[in-house]
Amino acid sequence: MSKPSDLVQGTLDLLLLKILALQAMNGYAISLRLKQVSGDVLQVSDGSLYPALHKLEQEGWITAEWKPTENNRRAKFYSLTRLGKKHLEKESANWSRLSAAISNIVKLKEA
Amino acid sequence: MRPEHWLHTLPLRLRSLFHRNQVEQDLSEELQYHLEQKTKEYTASGMAPEEARRKARREFGGIEQTKEICRDTRRVSLLETLSQDVRFGLRMLRKSPGFTAVAVLTLALGIGATTAVFSLVSAILLKPLPFPNPDQIVLPELVSPPGVNLGSDYFPWSQTQFRFLAQDSHPFHAVAAFQNDSFNLTGTDVPSFLDGFRVSAEFFPALGISPALGRGFTAEEDRPGHEYEVVLSDRMWREYFGANRAILGKAVRLNGYAYTVVGVMPAGFVFPRAEELPSSFNFPREAQLWVPLAIPEAPKNGPSELAVIARVKPGLTIQQAQAGMDLVTKHAEAKDPQWKGWFNSRVVPLTRQVVGDTERPLQLILAAVGIVLLIACSNIANLLLTRSFGRRREFTLRTALGAGRARLIRQLLTESLLIAVSAGAISILLANAGIYFVKTFGPADLPRLREVTLDLPVFAFALCVSLATGILFGLAPAIGATRENLADSLKEGSQRSGLSPTSPRLRNALLVSQVALALVLVISAGLLTRTFFHLLGANGGFNPDRVLTFQLPLPALKYVDQDHIVVFYQNALGRLRSVPGVQSAGIGETVPMGGEGESTVIRMPDHPAATQKELPFANYTIISPGYLSAVGTPVLRGRDFVEADTADSMPVALVNVAMEKKYWPGQSALGKQVGPGSVRLPLLTIVGVVPDVKHISFREETAPEMYVVYTQRQWPSMLNLRVALRTKADPASMTASVREAIHSIDPDLPLAKVATLTTLVDDSLSQPRFAMLLLASFGVLALLLASTGMYGVISYSVAQRTQEIGIRMALGAERRNVFGMVLSQGARLAGLGIALGLVAALGVTRLMASFLYGVQPADPLTFAIVSLLLVGTALLACYLPARGATRVDPLVALRHE
Repeated sequence: MSKPSDLVQGTLDLLLLKILALQAMNGYAISLRLKQVSGDVLQVSDGSLYPALHKLEQEGWITAEWKPTENNRRAKFYSLTRLGKKHLEKESANWSRLSAAISNIVKLKEA
Repeated sequence: MRPEHWLHTLPLRLRSLFHRNQVEQDLSEELQYHLEQKTKEYTASGMAPEEARRKARREFGGIEQTKEICRDTRRVSLLETLSQDVRFGLRMLRKSPGFTAVAVLTLALGIGATTAVFSLVSAILLKPLPFPNPDQIVLPELVSPPGVNLGSDYFPWSQTQFRFLAQDSHPFHAVAAFQNDSFNLTGTDVPSFLDGFRVSAEFFPALGISPALGRGFTAEEDRPGHEYEVVLSDRMWREYFGANRAILGKAVRLNGYAYTVVGVMPAGFVFPRAEELPSSFNFPREAQLWVPLAIPEAPKNGPSELAVIARVKPGLTIQQAQAGMDLVTKHAEAKDPQWKGWFNSRVVPLTRQVVGDTERPLQLILAAVGIVLLIACSNIANLLLTRSFGRRREFTLRTALGAGRARLIRQLLTESLLIAVSAGAISILLANAGIYFVKTFGPADLPRLREVTLDLPVFAFALCVSLATGILFGLAPAIGATRENLADSLKEGSQRSGLSPTSPRLRNALLVSQVALALVLVISAGLLTRTFFHLLGANGGFNPDRVLTFQLPLPALKYVDQDHIVVFYQNALGRLRSVPGVQSAGIGETVPMGGEGESTVIRMPDHPAATQKELPFANYTIISPGYLSAVGTPVLRGRDFVEADTADSMPVALVNVAMEKKYWPGQSALGKQVGPGSVRLPLLTIVGVVPDVKHISFREETAPEMYVVYTQRQWPSMLNLRVALRTKADPASMTASVREAIHSIDPDLPLAKVATLTTLVDDSLSQPRFAMLLLASFGVLALLLASTGMYGVISYSVAQRTQEIGIRMALGAERRNVFGMVLSQGARLAGLGIALGLVAALGVTRLMASFLYGVQPADPLTFAIVSLLLVGTALLACYLPARGATRVDPLVALRHE
């Protein structure tokens, strides 16, 4: 499997951060949520989810905590950090600007 | 990344570095959990468990690959920034090789010198002595009774006193006495003179070192009549006995007696050593053998030359040991009231004694080299400031592209650290060379000089200094350079606007402080140099040209009494005077610069016994006729001793000027009478006055001294007199013929401590010379650094002001006006630095007063000369940039961006 391209990676980061901003959850739950909220449009493959999560953790935007689940197992729960919140705001703003600019160009009427 | 960001992620990064296994396990567990949940989901929707599992697995893609990618992500994040910084830094440094070379070399010089000095400090002041638990080893020293001034701070122990102590030694686990003695080794091809010690049985246990071969002395052997055993030093064992392991039990002939070898000490053990113990004991440089002291059970009450060493019981402090000694004093005074006041002692830790008074000179040298390092650092800081100023565009571009300011600072800091660490590596080589220089040319009487080496603490020090200097000179430029306003720097023609207000101030401040520091250092060096040359030319009361001296250690066995000795010396002197090339010959207790001699309480009929308080004393030296002319001491008034002064003629004496001034102020001492303190000894009539002769160093204060003639001597022992010969030719070339002359009288008598007076004088100057050389080299280094610093700053300033210069010239300024402008800029900075430096020097040199001789700390001549020197150096440094400024072509300059 090839590495996700930078653009896709950047967008994926944004999505993950936003989901975690609303609620702390583990990797599996995140992938479910993403599918659910986007109406099945966006599906992240499991193989790219975890590298992305780990990268976000390395950057310090999310932090992880092991919580016990049923069956006496434990799962890794991620949550947004203060720095991550700031980064999320910045990236959201960038995204809005970018998408607005793209929309404007796409909406241009042909001469 | 912002700094706090970095700090946040640090624990995570460290964890992935050090707990890799745990991290891997966590990852597996996490992915496993995901798989299980997926499987459960599919099973819940109706699939068979096995199939569900397979589907979940398939959807995941490659688990191992995922793990690999996660691993890569971790690794990249951690090392990415570090290696990126390092690689980028190396590239930047490689791009400007000139700058890099200058910076690294400059810093390497500074760190190398500092490390070398630190290795000195480490070996002498910091490292513990090579004995087990060295802090527990003490030297109890007898002090003079309170209020009595006898010219010396402490005294040797007498045998009775030591016996008393040995029986009452509660605070101590072992108490031993020792005394130096010389031994003629015969039975080999050439009789040899050896320095050794008589030690009591507890000596080696007190130090805690046992012989490498054999054993020390038993209590049995430490008794009179049984003391014919010897322990050899490792060097002696190798040199004289070929490191023969079967040496134990063999006999060697010392001073005519047969001594059985019972042990050999480990290599490197040569305690006691002259430079580590009070100089009044006149200990040899290196002990070569030890024999038992053998104090009788009931010793005679008389003077003695014992030193005492003891090991404090484990768990007791020095204060408790001192309290114990005070108790002993009380007991002694109670037992024998005669001892009242004469049994006061002070417990001195051996470590303290060894260091002696080298602490302050070492601190001086450390401070001096610290100044050099500071100057080097500020030079490099200036260089970096200049360079990073030129990289302004690069920084602002990078900031615009997303690098945070902290990231830039980290980048610049990495570059500084790279410079510092490479300088540190080179500095190790330089430090090694410096240590070699110190060990070869350093004063021989520096304690523990042989132990100076490049070991782990010194390496660690070099590393710490490198890192610290890297941060020190890297931080300020880094912060300063990245403070630039974004918009201004990117604008076209920003160079035209000239320097922003902050930069020149920092650079100039650094330069001014460099000049000030260099001034202080060079002034100190100048003062020490003048001190040295004053000492060199000082008059010690003798003339060292072409004088050969040596010691004749007469064995007590052969020369049993006064008459034998006198006859021997008469023969010897006669024989020596007839050796071709000898102008005059004489014998004396000591020779000038040959160490302290005897001193004694004296009595004078003119000054009836004063109170116990100020007992008169004088140095007491036995000489022969011819001695004074041999060493070149003139007789100022009266006469020298002559052959007619024998045991039957009137007892006579000579005194020095200091003695005459002290006891007969305003009168002539000729005709007056004086004698040693004991009434049993006759009074002597003074027949001559001689100048003051120095015994240890030119700096010493002269004490009153009296001379008696050897034929009339009553005390002390004459078994170890020195011979002084004034020769027509080079004295060293006469050694062989002199040896033959002595050999013809007594073939078993070796010549000991052969040295010319010039050598002895030289040795006494070794410490001041060393200090001068060190400080002078630091001073030169500081001057060089400061002048290159000035050159750099002025050149850069000229480059910055090229347009301004072009405008000036276009408007009519002559070349020499431009030249003067640049020079005056440099002169102003130098002047400010010199002014500050002079003020600082006034304060600093006052601290040096004890090292100076013949020159005041605030000596105007030195201050003036050094100031002029610095002005000259500064102007020289500005010359090239100033000339470059005059070459500016106005047309080109105006167009220059």
